[in-house]
Amino acid sequence: MNFCLSKPIVILGLAAVFNMYSTPSSAEVVIVLNSGEGTVSLIDKATMVETKRFPVGKEPHHLMATPDDRYLIVANATSNDMVFLDPLTGEVKRRLDKISDPYQIGFSPDKKWFVSVSLRLDRIDIYNGADFSLIKRLPAPKAPSHVGFNSDSSLAFITLQDSNELAAFDLNTQSLKWKMPVGKMPAGVWLTPDDKYALIGMTGEDYVQVIDWRTQKTVKKITTGKGAHNFLPMGDGNRLLVSNRVSNTVNIIDQSTLAVIDTISVPGGPDCMELTKDGKQLWVTSRWIKKVTIIDMVTKKIIKQIPVGKSPHGIYFANHAARK
Amino acid sequence: MFDTLINFIIEQFAALHGHVFETGVLPVVHALGLGGYAEQAFDGTEFFLIGAVEVTVLAMVLGAIEKWVPLEAQTDERAKRVDVIYTLLHRLGFVPLLMFLLLVPLVDTLDGAMRMNDIIPWKLEDALPFLNSSPWLSFLFYVIFLDFVAYWLHRAQHQLNPWWALHSLHHSQRQMSFWSDDRNHLLDDFAVDGVFALVALLIGVAPAQFVTIVIATRVVESLSHANLKLSFGRIGEYLLVSPRFHRNHHGIGVGHEGKARGVNFAVLFPIWDVIFRTANFENSYPPTGIRDQLDGEEYGRGFWAQQWLGLQRLAHACFGSRESRMKTR
Repeated sequence: MNFCLSKPIVILGLAAVFNMYSTPSSAEVVIVLNSGEGTVSLIDKATMVETKRFPVGKEPHHLMATPDDRYLIVANATSNDMVFLDPLTGEVKRRLDKISDPYQIGFSPDKKWFVSVSLRLDRIDIYNGADFSLIKRLPAPKAPSHVGFNSDSSLAFITLQDSNELAAFDLNTQSLKWKMPVGKMPAGVWLTPDDKYALIGMTGEDYVQVIDWRTQKTVKKITTGKGAHNFLPMGDGNRLLVSNRVSNTVNIIDQSTLAVIDTISVPGGPDCMELTKDGKQLWVTSRWIKKVTIIDMVTKKIIKQIPVGKSPHGIYFANHAARK
Repeated sequence: MFDTLINFIIEQFAALHGHVFETGVLPVVHALGLGGYAEQAFDGTEFFLIGAVEVTVLAMVLGAIEKWVPLEAQTDERAKRVDVIYTLLHRLGFVPLLMFLLLVPLVDTLDGAMRMNDIIPWKLEDALPFLNSSPWLSFLFYVIFLDFVAYWLHRAQHQLNPWWALHSLHHSQRQMSFWSDDRNHLLDDFAVDGVFALVALLIGVAPAQFVTIVIATRVVESLSHANLKLSFGRIGEYLLVSPRFHRNHHGIGVGHEGKARGVNFAVLFPIWDVIFRTANFENSYPPTGIRDQLDGEEYGRGFWAQQWLGLQRLAHACFGSRESRMKTR
């Protein structure tokens, strides 16, 4: 009796192990960070099915590819570390310890600097972009949220979520250059292609604040859905997506006219986004409903919602629209 | 089949959680200008909903069993009602929210100052890297470690006079039931939660992980206070705190006296009492309460009276005459 039972159990066990550690190498993989449960979901992009979920660290919120696209960096805020994944398969390559509370991260355009923003602890850390050695740790009260850079990599713009400010840090001197008041709860930062304006998503309001960062003057408020949060360029050098976490919409902004040209309904607290290279599909993390929502960008309708882990935040796939 | 059912329940709960948060909580959070706390509010909503489900299930299951086969007759309905209030305040998140608001700024200030001095707190995974890839094992390690801390905290609650002045409120219930677990002085809660928050900071427990640990363990704690003649058997009694084991801790003349000022301090795993020689496995089911209650000492009938008398005892324990300090024992 024991023998009869043990054989299928062994086979099932092996199958389960194989299933856990294998992802078809040809399949295109979508990588999603489940910040509330410390896992990564891998989704087969073609079948739109979650194929694997594995632990990565505590509170993984944001991710980004290294400048050479060899790795995808996952920032584990509470683990105080960063995990480097293969951007094509999601496989863990290495773990970099002693990175203090990395919430949002970014490389300067010249790749010289790597900036890690510590939302909980009111700090920003400036690292050497080549080897991640710490150059300087600076206070940044209150609640530094997202980071953006000007084109010559001299300034890092940081939104201060709780003090309702935008701060500019001089990367060459590693010091605060200026701060200016903005609307309630600033989050995402995006620099227009002409490097003229900084666009700030106001999560506590219903607009994107357009700032001439050289004069530190607000030139416009682009009305969006409520809870304007994060940006993603559509790859044509002009159109820009902004997710609105409260109104459950995504707006398309024309950067040449600084106006909203379209609105897409995305339920469940849309947060981070990724757009396919051909611009046909928008993948969005729906933060409050444990799902990734896929939008058909032609019809602007939902294609599918895929269940993932708790509080999905960062999302990435390799074959994405250009970041311009 | 079982997996499908579990997944269905998880899906339904996630849908309910998302719906309640988006339609009820998030608009209020933003209207109050507290949008920066949306994620904490999201977790708080989940804590509330899980608490509501948990209390309902406990009331239905343990409540029914207590009525069916009670260890002792429960005649003091008012005392039980006050325990129900404590339970709801704790398990629906009001007390944890208060503790969160008080403690998080303190912990974050301390943590932030450490970072500016190049001190990044240690975490259990630094010593045991395999925990990075095994959340269940990681969870188990943290539960065991935190229960070890809880054992010593609990001993301190009994051995330090000012702390006992507060903690004695928990022991003043003469007719224990599964509702009695959260009957605590708010300052006692603050002290315990404060130590746990510091320990969590020092060993790297993620806030979400900490909440999961709290939710998972408090069911056992409710059961251990139940008005039932129930033991977990010869081996089980060494593995998990049972109603029989914990009743000895609450027993008059047993639970708060002797060299260690009591027995059976373990919250989840009795092994700590075995190792540190404070275990009492007698099958006695003694009457519960504090000895001085037999002489008429009052610990209060209602919630506010209990809180106020606790403060008075604390003042006596800290600033009173030697005689009155001794009386707090």
